Amino acid sequence: MNLSLYVRGNTPLHRLPASVKFGVLFASGIALFLTDRVLVLGPAAAVGAGLLLSVRPPATALRRQLTGLLITLAVIFAAAALFEGVHTAFVVLFRLLALLLLALAVTFSTRAADLLEFFERLTAPLARLGVANPAKISLGVSLVLRFVPEVHRGYLEIREAQAARGLRANPAALVVPLIVRTLKSADAIADAIDARCYPPPHPTGRETTP
Amino acid sequence: MTGAAQPPAPTVAPVLELDGVHVSYDDRPVLTDVTVRLTERRIGVIGPNGSGKSTFARLLNGLVVPGRGTVRVAGLDTAEHPREVRSKVGFVFQNPDNQIVFPIVAEDLAFGVKNLGVPKAAIPGRVADALAEFGIGHLAERQSHLLSGGEKQLVALAAVMVMRPELVVFDEPTTLLDLRNRNLIRDTIGRMAQAAVVVTHDLDLLDGFDRVLVVHEGRVACDADPATAVAWYREHCS
Amino acid sequence: MSTRNESGLGTRDVVMIALFAAIIVTLGLVPPVSIGVVPVPITLQTLGVMLAGAALGPVRGALSCALVALLTLIGLPVLSGGRGGVGVFLGPTGGYVVGWILGALVTGLLVKHWVLRLRGRGAQIAGYITACVVGGILVVYLIGIPWLWLASGLTLGKAFVGGLVFVPGDLVKAVVAGLVVHGVRRAYPIPVK
Repeated sequence: MNLSLYVRGNTPLHRLPASVKFGVLFASGIALFLTDRVLVLGPAAAVGAGLLLSVRPPATALRRQLTGLLITLAVIFAAAALFEGVHTAFVVLFRLLALLLLALAVTFSTRAADLLEFFERLTAPLARLGVANPAKISLGVSLVLRFVPEVHRGYLEIREAQAARGLRANPAALVVPLIVRTLKSADAIADAIDARCYPPPHPTGRETTP
Repeated sequence: MTGAAQPPAPTVAPVLELDGVHVSYDDRPVLTDVTVRLTERRIGVIGPNGSGKSTFARLLNGLVVPGRGTVRVAGLDTAEHPREVRSKVGFVFQNPDNQIVFPIVAEDLAFGVKNLGVPKAAIPGRVADALAEFGIGHLAERQSHLLSGGEKQLVALAAVMVMRPELVVFDEPTTLLDLRNRNLIRDTIGRMAQAAVVVTHDLDLLDGFDRVLVVHEGRVACDADPATAVAWYREHCS
Repeated sequence: MSTRNESGLGTRDVVMIALFAAIIVTLGLVPPVSIGVVPVPITLQTLGVMLAGAALGPVRGALSCALVALLTLIGLPVLSGGRGGVGVFLGPTGGYVVGWILGALVTGLLVKHWVLRLRGRGAQIAGYITACVVGGILVVYLIGIPWLWLASGLTLGKAFVGGLVFVPGDLVKAVVAGLVVHGVRRAYPIPVK
């Protein structure tokens, strides 16, 4: 699996800091719900599409992210047109399109690490209250990325072994050994983490270096 | 590792003291009244499966703390100072798959250094040096799960050595390896400046060691030079 | 477990939370599986969500789902079909992903305080299935449907009907989840937390 939706590039959107992009996205989210005018929302959707294309996403990634989205939007458009009139349907469609295309542009143009750092700064007050622990959260994120390929490999091995024994794919028979096997490795992984002096002495005195 | 550089000057081994150590899991005794004092630079630990030797290894960096008795590393009680002890004692596990915990190789090495409290700016340099030392600088940006078995073992080793431990404990480091990678581990242990405690079934690994303990049924049953200890082991445990 | 710290979650808990999140992500990667009685193949990702609460317990289960949500938010393609990004949460179906967190919490609470006290194999399996229906369906829809309503601009009634098309598949998943958790607990009992 590709580890991230991020698309390498050096477009204007790539160069903007994550905080600015999220700020704009958040503000657009509010602004788009303040108006019902197709003449505003339609061009907004076009701007969203323009910004999305400006980050030059590869066609495969674009198709993958847009297919499901467009199907959902089509269903909602049809439902709205049927029950609440064509005007409302266009309002809903353009509003969601504008917002979701912009969001996709942000996703494509921002590194996961930068976003994570941005959220860490955003949740810093919570961290100071002891509600969240940024060091643990980022360890958790890394562990998921590290072990998804291993869990996936485990899944394929179990499926193969069952197929070799002539068993038909049965979700319960597949998932039980997958979970047991994965959780059994938790002790060894936790030992390996502790053995390398985790947690760090003082909870992340992080300097902001780009 | 490919260069003809002189091996680094040997460092002094931290003194390991186990005093009246008992360990049990769910009322099942694993180690019973173990008392040893280890000062040598190359120490082997052998014994049958389930003899308690893996627990013995884990006592040395505080991953296991004794139910009774004390373990001291360079004078520090492992139960009271696990962090300080772990910063001195590196640990190489049997399965590198479970030891590499970050998705990118360089991140994995940086993790341990960061945990030591090393300033952020100094980390990349140290990571690069450690990778270069094992001849795997080219793997820095690779995804961990795409490494070959031998590469994984080297990354796991580099991730321990980058923390500059004074002692490295190896827990059956060659059990899952093919011959080539096994020899790689043997050479690494032979060349290391640090002291090493090696728990193993691979008796040839112990050539030239200073001292070998045989753990049998939860006790140190034999404590001698490699030849004597291996002979005792062959006679009593096979 | 010997490593204790401020929030009460040790290294082992963090690892379990992350590994279960990896299971949820993996179940989203694998192709949908057909089950005898239902004509449509089902995606296994929401099965993973039900399992998180039931297998790990309320706190760790909810945190597993929260971790998947965080990965989605920072732009990783962790949802079934390779979806991801902040847009998921702004879109009509974002509420379901948020609902998973609370759903796993409720499933976990029911398992911890009720199911584990039941005696007998049949009663326990029925208990697990009930916990998965309440947490994994009821609670998830309780958040997912108003979200669909808000994000789409449909009236709540229509959003409700629209959201219900997935209920039959989810009921099947709750039954599978009940059987799976029972199997997992028998093979590898871990304390719920």
